[in-house]
Formats: sequence, C-alpha cells, structure tokens
Amino acid sequence: MHEFLFAALVLAIGAVAALLLPGNRTRGWIALTTQGIAAVAVWVTIAPVLAGGAPWTATLPWAAPIGDVPLRIDGLGAFFLAWSLPMTWLGTLYAQGYLGAGLRAGRNGGPHYALLNLTALSFVIVYSVQNALAFLLGWEIAAVAAWLLVIWDYGNQKVRFAGFNYLVSTQVGLFVLVAAFMLLHGRTGAMDFAAFGTFLQQPDPQRSTIFLLLGVAFALKAAFFPFHTWLPRAHAAAPAHVSALMSGVIHKAGLFGFLRFALLLGPPEEWMGWTVLLFGALSAFAGVLYTVAQRDLKRLLGYSSTENVGIAAMGFGVGCLGWTWQQPAMMTLGFGAGLLHLFHHAVFKCLLFYAAGAIHRAVHTVDIERLGGLARVLPYTATWFLVGAVAIAGLPPLNGFVGEFLLFQGLFTGGVAGGEPRIALVAMACVLAFVGGVGALAMTRAFGLTFLGVARQRLPAPPGDAPASMAWPMALHAVAAVGLGLVPSAGLWLIGGALQSFPGARVDTVATALTPATWLGRGLAVVLLLFGVLAWWRGRARRRSPTWGCGYNAVSVRMQYTGASFAEHFGRLFAAFLTTRRREQLPTAVFPSASGRLQTQPVDAVEQRIFEVLGRGDAMVTDVAERVPERPRLAFLAGLLVLLLLGAWLLGGLGR
Amino acid sequence: MSLVGTLLALLLLPFLLIGIVQRTRSWWAGRRGPGLWQSAFDVQRLLRKQSVYSTTTTPLFRIAPWVFLASAVGSALLTPVLGLPPVLSFPFDFVWFLYAFGLGRVAIMLAALDTGSSFEGMGAAREGLFASLLEPVWFAAFGALFCLTDATSLAELLPAPITGLPAATVVAAVALALLVAVQVESARVPVDDPATHLELTMIHEVQVLDHSGPDLAAIQIGSALKLFIGASLLVALLHPCPAAPAPWPQLVAAGMLIGVAVLIGTIESLVARLQLRMVPWYIGAALLLGTVGLLATAWRGEGGR
Repeated sequence: MHEFLFAALVLAIGAVAALLLPGNRTRGWIALTTQGIAAVAVWVTIAPVLAGGAPWTATLPWAAPIGDVPLRIDGLGAFFLAWSLPMTWLGTLYAQGYLGAGLRAGRNGGPHYALLNLTALSFVIVYSVQNALAFLLGWEIAAVAAWLLVIWDYGNQKVRFAGFNYLVSTQVGLFVLVAAFMLLHGRTGAMDFAAFGTFLQQPDPQRSTIFLLLGVAFALKAAFFPFHTWLPRAHAAAPAHVSALMSGVIHKAGLFGFLRFALLLGPPEEWMGWTVLLFGALSAFAGVLYTVAQRDLKRLLGYSSTENVGIAAMGFGVGCLGWTWQQPAMMTLGFGAGLLHLFHHAVFKCLLFYAAGAIHRAVHTVDIERLGGLARVLPYTATWFLVGAVAIAGLPPLNGFVGEFLLFQGLFTGGVAGGEPRIALVAMACVLAFVGGVGALAMTRAFGLTFLGVARQRLPAPPGDAPASMAWPMALHAVAAVGLGLVPSAGLWLIGGALQSFPGARVDTVATALTPATWLGRGLAVVLLLFGVLAWWRGRARRRSPTWGCGYNAVSVRMQYTGASFAEHFGRLFAAFLTTRRREQLPTAVFPSASGRLQTQPVDAVEQRIFEVLGRGDAMVTDVAERVPERPRLAFLAGLLVLLLLGAWLLGGLGR
Repeated sequence: MSLVGTLLALLLLPFLLIGIVQRTRSWWAGRRGPGLWQSAFDVQRLLRKQSVYSTTTTPLFRIAPWVFLASAVGSALLTPVLGLPPVLSFPFDFVWFLYAFGLGRVAIMLAALDTGSSFEGMGAAREGLFASLLEPVWFAAFGALFCLTDATSLAELLPAPITGLPAATVVAAVALALLVAVQVESARVPVDDPATHLELTMIHEVQVLDHSGPDLAAIQIGSALKLFIGASLLVALLHPCPAAPAPWPQLVAAGMLIGVAVLIGTIESLVARLQLRMVPWYIGAALLLGTVGLLATAWRGEGGR
C-alpha cells in the first residue's frame, strides 16, 4: 500500500480507536500518534512534488456510485497538505491542555479527538481526489466535523445556536457547489476533474455561470463578506483550538477550491479577474472594519479571517488579470502573494487563537472590556500574542508583511496598459493600504487593552501561564511567523510547485521581488533585537513612579481607556458597518429613584441589515428620499465632489 | 561622498528644520524665539538624564521608543534628501517606507497603552485612527506618480516630469496631498498642536507623557526625523533641476527645504488647529486630492504611452 493511502487508513483507525478506547489520556495519545504518523506519511508522498518533481498519481478503486477515484497531488495539493496536517497535529496537542479541566472532570474526550482525526482525513481527501463526488465527501466530512467540534460546550444554548448557524451556512454553500457540479456533470457526463477541465477550457456560455456558482460556494466556505455571518458566532463559541483550525486551516479549503478550478478553467475572462479582485477588496475592507469595534477577542480574530482571505483573494484577482492580459510577472506576483498570504495567515491566526485560548483558560473570559494587564501574569502568552499581532498587522520584519508587499507589487505592475485599468489597480492598492492601517489599529487595541495597563475588572487569579501542551504550539507558530518573515524563501519553496502550475509563472520573479526588502527587514530585526536587549538591560534598575495622571492623583482602574472608548471615533466614522446594539435603562427625573443601566454590544452589520430590510425596507427608502431635500448642503457637497472627480478625469483624458 | 553627505544631512538637518519652524512661529508671534539648534540641545540634555518608568509598565515600554527611532531611521535611509540619492533604493521601497512608519507608530501606541493612563490611551486611539485614514492618501499620491512616471522606487518617482497641463495637475495635487500627509504624520497644526497646554486635545505628545530621559530623546529624534523626511519628499517632488551639475541641485534643495519649513511654520501661526472630529475630513480632502491626481493620469492610456 502506498504511504498516502496508508495515511488515510491510519487516520480512520485512529478515529475509531479514540472513540472506543477508555481513558482520555489514551484517546489523546492515539489521536496525536495517528495524526503524527499520517503527517509523516503525507510528507513522504509530497516531498518530491514540493521539490519540483512530477505530480503523484494513483487510482483508488471504489464502490458503485463513485467508481474508480483518480488521485493526483500536484504542486497545489502538495502545498496545502504540507501545512494542514502538521497544524492540525499542533491543534490536537493544544486541545490536551485547553480541554484539560473538562476532561479531568470526567468529560469523554473520545469523540472530540476522533473528530480532529476526521478533519485531518478530510484534508487528505479534498486536496488529492480528482473526482467530484469524492471531493464532496471530503468537503462534507470537514463541514460536519467542524460543526461537531464547535459545539463542544453544547450545554450552552448560545453555543448550540452558533453551531446550527454555522451548519446551515455551510450546507447552503454545499447546495451551490452541488449545483455547479451538476451543471458540469450535465455537460460532460463525467465526474472527473480532468473531464471538467476539458469542458471548461472551451468557450461556452455556461462557463460564466459555473464560475459564479463555484465562487459563491467557495466564498461561503472561506467566510468572505457578505457570506461571513456565521463566522463571528462560531468562532466565539468554539474551543480555542477549533477556532484556530477552522480559521487557519479548515476554511482555507475554500481558497484551495477556487485555485483548483481556476487552474481547470484556464485563462479567465477579464471580468472574472476584476470580480475576484473587487470581491476580495470588499471582504478585506469590511472584515477589517469589524475587527476594530469587537469586544470579544475571539470574535475579533474571527472577523480578521474575513479580512485576510480577502487579501489573499485580491492576490488571486491580480493573478487572474495578469493571466488574461498575458503579463507573466503580474500573474506570478498576484498568485504568489495570495498563496503566501493564506499560508502566513494560517501561521499567525492559529497563534492568536491559541493565545486567546490561554487567556480564557487563565481568567475565564475574553471580553476586552474586562481584561487588562495580563502581560504581568501571562508573560509568555503575551509575548506570543504580540508576535502574532505584529505579524497579522502586516508590519515588517514579520511574515504578514511579505504577502502584502508582493500584492502591492502585483497591483503596481508596469506592464499594464496605462489609463483606467491602471488607475483602478492603484485604487485597489489604496484600499489595501487602508486595510493594513486599520488592521494595525485593531491589533494594537486588542493587544494593548488585553495585556497592558491594569485589569478593568476584578479577574480570578490565574493558575499560572499556559501549560506546556498549550505553550509549545504557540511557541512553534511564533517562531514560524518570525522565521517566514526573515527567510521568506522557505515559504516560497512551499508554494513553488503551486505557483508553477499556472502556465508562464516563474518562482524567481517572486524571489527577486522579495530580496531587497528581505535584507532590509533582517537589518531591522537585528537592530530591534539589539535595542530590545539594551533597553531591557539598561532599564532594569531604574526609578519607578506611578503613571502620570495629568495632575490628578486619585486614578482608578475604571478610568482607563476601554475598548469601546478606543473604537468610539472610528465607529462613528464607519457607522454603516459598525452597528451597535444598545440596551439602556436611563435614570429619569431630576432625582432618579432607580439607578440606570447601559449596555452596548457590537452586532454584525449584515445580519442586522437583513432584518432591518426585511422588517421595514420600504420605510427606509422613504426616509432617505425625504431626508435629501432637507439637507441641501449635503447634496451640494456630493455634486461638487462628483464634478471635481469628473473634471480631473476629463483633464487626464484630454492629453490623449 | 554623496553617501556621507546624505548621512550627515540625516543626522543634523532634522533639528535645524524644527529650529526654522519654531523661528518662523516666533517671528509671526513677534517674539525672538529660541536658537535654531534648541531642539538638538534639548535632546542632548535628555540623553544625559535618567529615565523614570511607571510602575504599571512592562519591558515593552522601555523598548518602544527605540523601535520608533529605528523605524524612522529605516524610512529615512530610503528618502532622497537634499538633492542627493538615497542611501538605499530598490523597487517598491515606498511600500517599505510606509510600513516602517507603521511599525514605529504601533510601538508608540503600545507604549502609551502600557501606562494604563486614559489620556495616553486617548492619544493612541486618535493616532491609530488618523494614521489608518492617511494610508490611502500616501498610496494614492505615490500611485499617481507611478502612473505618471512608470517608476517604482522613491528615487525614481521623485521628481515627476511636468510635460503638460495634466501632468502639472497630477504634481500639484500630489504635492498638496503630501503636505497634508506630512502634517498628520509629524503631528503639526492644523491636525495636532505640539505646544498645546491641554492633554485632552493632543495626539502625539499625549502618548509620550510618561517617557523621560533617553527614551524621550529617542522619540524626539524620531519625530524630528519624520518631519525632515516628509519635507524632503515634498522638496524632491517639486525640485526644478535635479539633473544640474554638482552643487546646484543641493543648493536649490536646501533653499526649498527652508521654504517648506517656513511654510509649515506659517501655516501653524496663521491657522488654528482643527477640531478633532474635523480631522478625518481634512484627511479626506487629501484623499480627494490624491484621487484627483490619480484620475488625471488617465491620458497615459493607449494613445499617451
């Protein structure tokens, strides 16, 4: 039997054993061992492919409705397999510590470990099979396993609701995917991806329909805006490692699906590239706005997934446009940026979720409004979280910067015809810059309010920093985030095969594009390390005094800036996206007899708006129509703006 | 030779630039004002002092000022100053330039939050908001220049050739957008007032209330450097004769640098600072200018290439 099939078998056996064997410790070890063996076996299979060898192929005989399943691991599949299984293994390791209290209290951990094994199995299936039915099977295993993993704490009604919300969304995505496959099956009479590819590369009116259907299905899986509404609930409800795996690893299958079918589709039409680019930019923009106002740390991190898959999709959009316009450099930079960013996102997003889990374990809450000063009680967790926060904010010299830097290069490609297309691409670069700036703001807020200052409410005394089983996954992810920033060629080696599946793409384009910035980043890293050590050493025995209170010396912890106050001005500017639910009972009369209450909670704008439109859509239109004549200054300003922009454009056009 | 000149300029001129801005303000106010090198003396004095740290702070607070300084130096190395080529130049160095600014900003914001002071948190929130609104302005400005010149490094983007009315529109719009960007990044009036007496209304200065001694010196050097970099970008953009024989471009650039400092000082003297809620609209106007510059490059289409 080949190593690859052996890996699948071992995972399945491990899942059954974890269910049947007694003792949580044994179950945990079974899951870790089988996943470890499977990861090694998969690496044995994919290592030659990653090193530039020919794709690995095999045929798996299967029962009647599916028939023989062709297996094929090309550069793309190898890239996804390379990190999906090891990261799942780390998640399983983390689970031992995170669920520890529950498991010791007598909870049966068997199903949980079995489901983690099944998740790894679904990666093995989805990233290798070339048959639509087998693909759907793997897709469903991942979806159902993720749902069951999310509702670990099923006694809580909110958790059950979040789980069902997720299940419904993911099944809606499945319907759309099935519709696309049925269309393809109807036209080709086959279920093999190879046959799909032959059909899709011909000019056919249904090509566009299929592209859109697949796009929606994969966008739902990867939680793109506006298909993300399940995501904040699910991520807040799930155990930390499940959130990490869902956000970092499982839902990357959506992006894999897109790339797989982009390859089958061949050179895309121009509108497809623009659609993906705009859709990605919208997702990144909306996702990052949400991250600023959240008070639940895990919800915040969930929204940041929407942002980051958006950035990756912008890369794919640029790649598609470069493909259409036959600009190999642009295509390489676009797809390279997207692939690298999605991998880097998996690295730092898992890290951040693990750190959030460590906080939850220590003080039983992840509400930013209550936390503060945790850096002193959880110093290691704080350090790892800081690494992840700087990386996810896209700042040099860590790995988040690499993908964004490449994407900027793709957007500013010299080969594009001048005029409007180029202006549109530069405008997208401006959106990306805004996303980067807001991302930095949101992550500074998240880290600063959680770990710095003083706790805003009395917190339970933590039982010490995270135990080894939780600390090691964090440390490894943090090392990877730093390493991939300083040595981006490592990430480049992983995506090399995937990148070269796109005809005309050359890996050395990306390598050359990265070299100078990498060296500058290394220089910066050395300087920062030096400064860090010096400042640490110099400041150890210095004078201490309370924080300057601007002359006021009766400060209390309740007077610190809170998460809500930090985001207040920002929230007012982007009120359309940052809806807040207020529950208030204000004191009345001059001498109120009862004390008042005010509670604010950020709610998802899309969800909120759906209900608003369903409830009073007609009234809203009337409201707007009535308000415009009342505010002539606004209309005048809008007119002036349009006139100015049109004038500039006309002026630019005159030169032709 | 030119490398030594660039490094010397980066070392000395930031303080002189601040001196000129201060002198201009004093002149408008009818005072004599401090000496031109006063800010350098201040930094020297701070470097001799000892730092005091708040009891709330973590080691992050001690490192942050130096991260800020390092990132400012990192950006400065990429900037063409005084008509000389930059120390380092590579394709898309402007992206690195702006992201290094971002790193320094995040360090200062975290240090501010580290103190647990509500004033400093307030400053950090404002800084983050205004800076994130400013990012697209920078990219629109550099993007318009990119569409105009097809170049991708700061050294080649600046100065932009003015070949006709559309190109002149682009350069003018970009110059104005950059002026606003400099005012926001280096915390000058009308966005922020470094000399106000009330912590409630400050942005940059309020974040560094708790820093003292050498740490404060690092922040002041970094801030001076950022102002100097910004002014140098403006000078390089509008430089009329970058290709003239040796001493002339440098002399012209020096004269223009003084001009920019006087302009900044004059604006500070004649304009009141904006209300905080109006600052986003001010940045929005700069974004509009950047967009105008970008749209005005539409002529470089198929016919204009």
